[in-house]
Amino acid sequence: MGKIITLPAATSAEPLMAVRGLSVAIDSAAGERQLLSDIDLTVNARSVLGIIGESGSGKTILSRALVNWVRQPLKVTGGSVRYGGRDLLTLPEAEMARLRGREIAYIGANPTSALDPTVPVGHQILEKLRTVSPQLSREAARRRVIETLDAVRIPSPAQRFDEYPFQFSGGMMQRALIVDALVSDPKLLIADNITQPLDVTVAAQILRLLRDLQKDFDTAVVFISSSLGIVSEIADDLIVLDRGRVVEHSPVSDLLQKPQHAYSRELIAKVPKLWSIGATIPRPSSADVVLDVRDVEKNYEVRDRKAIFAHRKVKAVRGVSFTVRRGENFGIIGESGCGKSTLSRLLSCLEAPNSGKILFEGQDIATLRGTDLLALRRRFQLLLQDPYNAIAAHCSIGRTIAEPLLIHGLGSRSEIEAKVKAVMAEVGLPETLYDQLPVGLSAGQRQRVNIARALVLEPELLILDETLSALDQVEQAKLLDLFETLQARRGITYVYISHDLAMVRRVCAWIAVMYLGRIVELADNETMFERSAHPYTRALLSAVPTVEHKPYRMQTYLLEGEPPDPIDIPPGCSFRTRCPFAFDRCAIDDPVRGADIGVNTSACHLRADSLPPAEAPSASNGAPA
Amino acid sequence: MNSTTAQATLPKSQPTRSRGVTARILRRAWSYTEMRVAALVFLALALLTLLGPFIIDASATKMNVTDKFLPPIFMEGGKLPHFLGTDQLGRDLLLRSLIGLRNAFAIGVVSVVGMFIIGCAVGIYAGYRGGWVDVILMRLTDVQMSIPVVILAITILGMSRPSPASVIAVLILASWPVYARVSRGVTLSERQKEYVRAAKILGASDLRIMVRHIAPSILPPIAFVAVLDVARMMIFEAIFGFIGIGIQPPTPTFGTIISSGTQYLLNAWWITIVPGVLLALALSSLNLMGGVLERARNQILQGGA
Amino acid sequence: MAFAIEFFLRRIGQGLVIVLLVAFVIFTLLRIVPGDPIRIILGPMTPASVLEETAKNLGLRDPILVQFGRFVTQVASGDLGRSFIRGVQGGSTGGSQDSAGFDPESRASVAELIGTALPYSLQLAALGIAFTLLVSVPIGLAAGLRSGHWPDRLGLYVSSFLVSLPNIWVGVVLIFLLSAKTGLLPAIGYKGFAYTIIPAMVLAIELSPVLIRAISVSVAANLGETYFDVGLVRGLSRRVMIAKHVLRNAAVPLFNLFGAQMIGMLLGGLFVVEYIFSYPGLGMLTINAVFQRDFPIIQAVAILASGALVAINMLVDFASTTIDRRLKF
Repeated sequence: MGKIITLPAATSAEPLMAVRGLSVAIDSAAGERQLLSDIDLTVNARSVLGIIGESGSGKTILSRALVNWVRQPLKVTGGSVRYGGRDLLTLPEAEMARLRGREIAYIGANPTSALDPTVPVGHQILEKLRTVSPQLSREAARRRVIETLDAVRIPSPAQRFDEYPFQFSGGMMQRALIVDALVSDPKLLIADNITQPLDVTVAAQILRLLRDLQKDFDTAVVFISSSLGIVSEIADDLIVLDRGRVVEHSPVSDLLQKPQHAYSRELIAKVPKLWSIGATIPRPSSADVVLDVRDVEKNYEVRDRKAIFAHRKVKAVRGVSFTVRRGENFGIIGESGCGKSTLSRLLSCLEAPNSGKILFEGQDIATLRGTDLLALRRRFQLLLQDPYNAIAAHCSIGRTIAEPLLIHGLGSRSEIEAKVKAVMAEVGLPETLYDQLPVGLSAGQRQRVNIARALVLEPELLILDETLSALDQVEQAKLLDLFETLQARRGITYVYISHDLAMVRRVCAWIAVMYLGRIVELADNETMFERSAHPYTRALLSAVPTVEHKPYRMQTYLLEGEPPDPIDIPPGCSFRTRCPFAFDRCAIDDPVRGADIGVNTSACHLRADSLPPAEAPSASNGAPA
Repeated sequence: MNSTTAQATLPKSQPTRSRGVTARILRRAWSYTEMRVAALVFLALALLTLLGPFIIDASATKMNVTDKFLPPIFMEGGKLPHFLGTDQLGRDLLLRSLIGLRNAFAIGVVSVVGMFIIGCAVGIYAGYRGGWVDVILMRLTDVQMSIPVVILAITILGMSRPSPASVIAVLILASWPVYARVSRGVTLSERQKEYVRAAKILGASDLRIMVRHIAPSILPPIAFVAVLDVARMMIFEAIFGFIGIGIQPPTPTFGTIISSGTQYLLNAWWITIVPGVLLALALSSLNLMGGVLERARNQILQGGA
Repeated sequence: MAFAIEFFLRRIGQGLVIVLLVAFVIFTLLRIVPGDPIRIILGPMTPASVLEETAKNLGLRDPILVQFGRFVTQVASGDLGRSFIRGVQGGSTGGSQDSAGFDPESRASVAELIGTALPYSLQLAALGIAFTLLVSVPIGLAAGLRSGHWPDRLGLYVSSFLVSLPNIWVGVVLIFLLSAKTGLLPAIGYKGFAYTIIPAMVLAIELSPVLIRAISVSVAANLGETYFDVGLVRGLSRRVMIAKHVLRNAAVPLFNLFGAQMIGMLLGGLFVVEYIFSYPGLGMLTINAVFQRDFPIIQAVAILASGALVAINMLVDFASTTIDRRLKF
């Protein structure tokens, strides 16, 4: 692998930044540990250099080292970062300060905590602009900030100028930070994993925005990401980082087509696939309805700051209906704020819906109390996302798994112990863990403890609320296999609540897509992915970062702006404010989705055949029929 | 032992996020030199308090007119066995101080344990339940906190003859709301965590969740701060003694020793100063330990490694 | 604007309830704890029949709720009543001259007594707070800004040491060192402003450690926040970040500390310090009133103190929510 490849396009120019032999180590009680070793890279003017690496590869440390932001206990142990003929690593603090935010800008992965929470966003951008260009008058600077906010499509920028960081959504905040970075017209922008916390459609917006701005401003960009799908959308050149070392450096198309290093091939193989999957898609197995959700609504009241003693209603779930049949996998997908977490709380009886019914085997669970509810809980379990917080640190693993049996008073001590050990074996936990504390268990093993704890009650229905989101691909695949085995053995029905389209594609027979508290489309797996009938579903699918052929083009379906505030939902179709195909009727008439069981339904006035046709895969990487 | 074997089977990079928080705080605190020095001083004083009566050949309440107003032995005129001198009635100051220290410490510990239990029980309940239960209980703590401790104390203790039990009762009454507030605050955020939700889904009752799940995870860090309160209660005990509403003579307490010494301040300053120095030393060691524990707690809880 | 109006309406409403409850608690406590004020008013030699009659005349034998209702109506009309003990001329009378009966008109009005004592207490409190700020702001800031280095340790030592000094003892020691031994400053009683200095120092020694610790923790925590590092990388100087952002954010927990803890400590400290120094403020008035079972004074002071606490807490919370809009009210 050539370490320094100078691209033909950039030969004319001197490299903007050249990193040679950069090494960073961490000082810890156990001694010094090397985090970055001997990194070489070159950033050319007006180009986008992508850096890809998994978590723990040192990519954030590298991105920070590029702006000389290396703090205790980290330290630079060798190499140089040359910029404009000088080594940034040895530059005096005052000189460095003159470059930061002016010539070299940096945007990090966590937009919501990047600014002072107590000062309005616009004022902070203004403060920076006035620091880097003191000659600007206050009024002129303010105008410029508002113009730039407008340019990155932040709605009503003059009003947003005076709003606080917590009033911005993650995507909006990230756009504001892009404004903040570009307002000083920097030569180099370092973007460290900036799409990581965002939903796929928002990430797609940000990516397009950054690409446009990069061209307009002629800025060179170092784009760091853990998603190959995302980085390949924007970068010209790509560096692959593995455990602190550069293992490959080549143009994006070369890397995707003929990766040189084994690790690069592994990375490409790990990118989730939605269409070019080999597995057969699961089918519903019976007509016996286990869970019947009928027109469920949930509102929350929030205090209104603008009126005296007034409350406003947040409509979190607005009339959701679906049915789940015995032995099938049912998926509920949606982006943050779509109401899927509220729905999960309703399904697990932690809260009662304001109206509507949730029937489990014909019994309305919202009205159950006391022993009836307790009896229901045995047959109806929910697994949560966070494998760390869901189990107590101070209880042994055996005790943790036995807890539900103790709660329900099932069996004597020895019976419980036998049962717990049997379940542990079933989920693949070694019996030696029985007496141990959960200290140091991996995320996957912890999630197995959770699963065992739920299984010990022998439930018939398991709701998986983002249960696998915190796990890496390999662990995820193992647990999905485990779920499949358990289903075959015990006939369990699963409801997957997730934002992970690739996982849902793999396991769910029926899928519901939620937007703003509603199911906008409910269809079987194949229809959903190949011939979706709702523009939002298509937008979602088009934005998934993959490296395969997609039937839906991102350019056609890209969403603008933000979902409406769930306090203030516009009349008509709630998706029309962002829908690229909205027409007159959508503003007046709210489309209703049919509620027939076993039929594909969508809440849209357009028929599926009046949407642009799904593009057939090309022969090279198409899905098997 | 359990933890080491489990760890050995796992890759080193695993985050150790859930190693017992308490253990980590204690370990972090112990890594401070200050912590060790303070613990040593405190231990020495404790030992002295226990052994003092055997080493010093005198009684704390025995008067001896010939030996009155003796200065400490490092001054001219001091004599053994009265290391730190005697008071206006010829009683040994060191011995009286040590007994005062012991009494104050006992009162401090018992009252802090009391206010910790009452306050945290109320706080967890209010925080977990929320709604009007929470509003009422928290307004109640507002009321309680709006009455200055000293007024409450002299109102209750002022007229009757105060006993250790009534002193402890007043201290608990005056300070439980602080614990209720703190534990309520932590419970509010703890209630949102997944383990509580998980327990609910498994069918655990509210009482079970509060006692078995929330309490074990939130109380230890609060308990560290309670160390600081033991010192604070000892100071209150001294104030009560000084005003004359604490434990009554002849039982030695710091408050009474200091207040009786004020009349002889110009001629025999040590009667007032010496016990105070001893008390300040004891409390400093206690407060330093508490301060380090609090700091270690902040470091651990605020995401420090 | 609507937010501010709702905030104050809500909090004033809650505050009135709290003050009323505090008054009730103190009112009841005074009447169920042993110690009959009549015996102190009329002196020990008074016959039982006269005692009973006076008590009846004063309404002290009515059910507590009736007495409380009467008291609240009286306070609501702006009348805090008259002292049981103190004469119109000031100073307690007490003793035998009243053995024939009790004439409330010869007693000082509580409002006037408080009006005379309050300015002294306010002066002492203000100077105490000034000293506290003078000591703890520099140390606290240095400790917070240089977290983990020597100023931080210094802050820990100083606060751990100062918080270990009982105020009664500090008072006596300072009297001994600054007044009795060297004659630098006057101490006991009040004959001029100089008499406020030593008591204020005692108050400051009591309050400083709490503030030092709070400032350093709060500032250090904010320096560790992402927004601080990001600010530097965004091109703002360390000085600007600290002056404009860190201090602003650090102020929120400090405001809360001030409202929740410091004011209570200050009030408690005032009582004790005034007692040690025979300083003629509200604390002195109250402590004597308690020993003499002078109910009207105790009740009035309790109402005043809780009212002040409620008001200060209200303002503090309002300031916090104005700085940090995320806070709920």
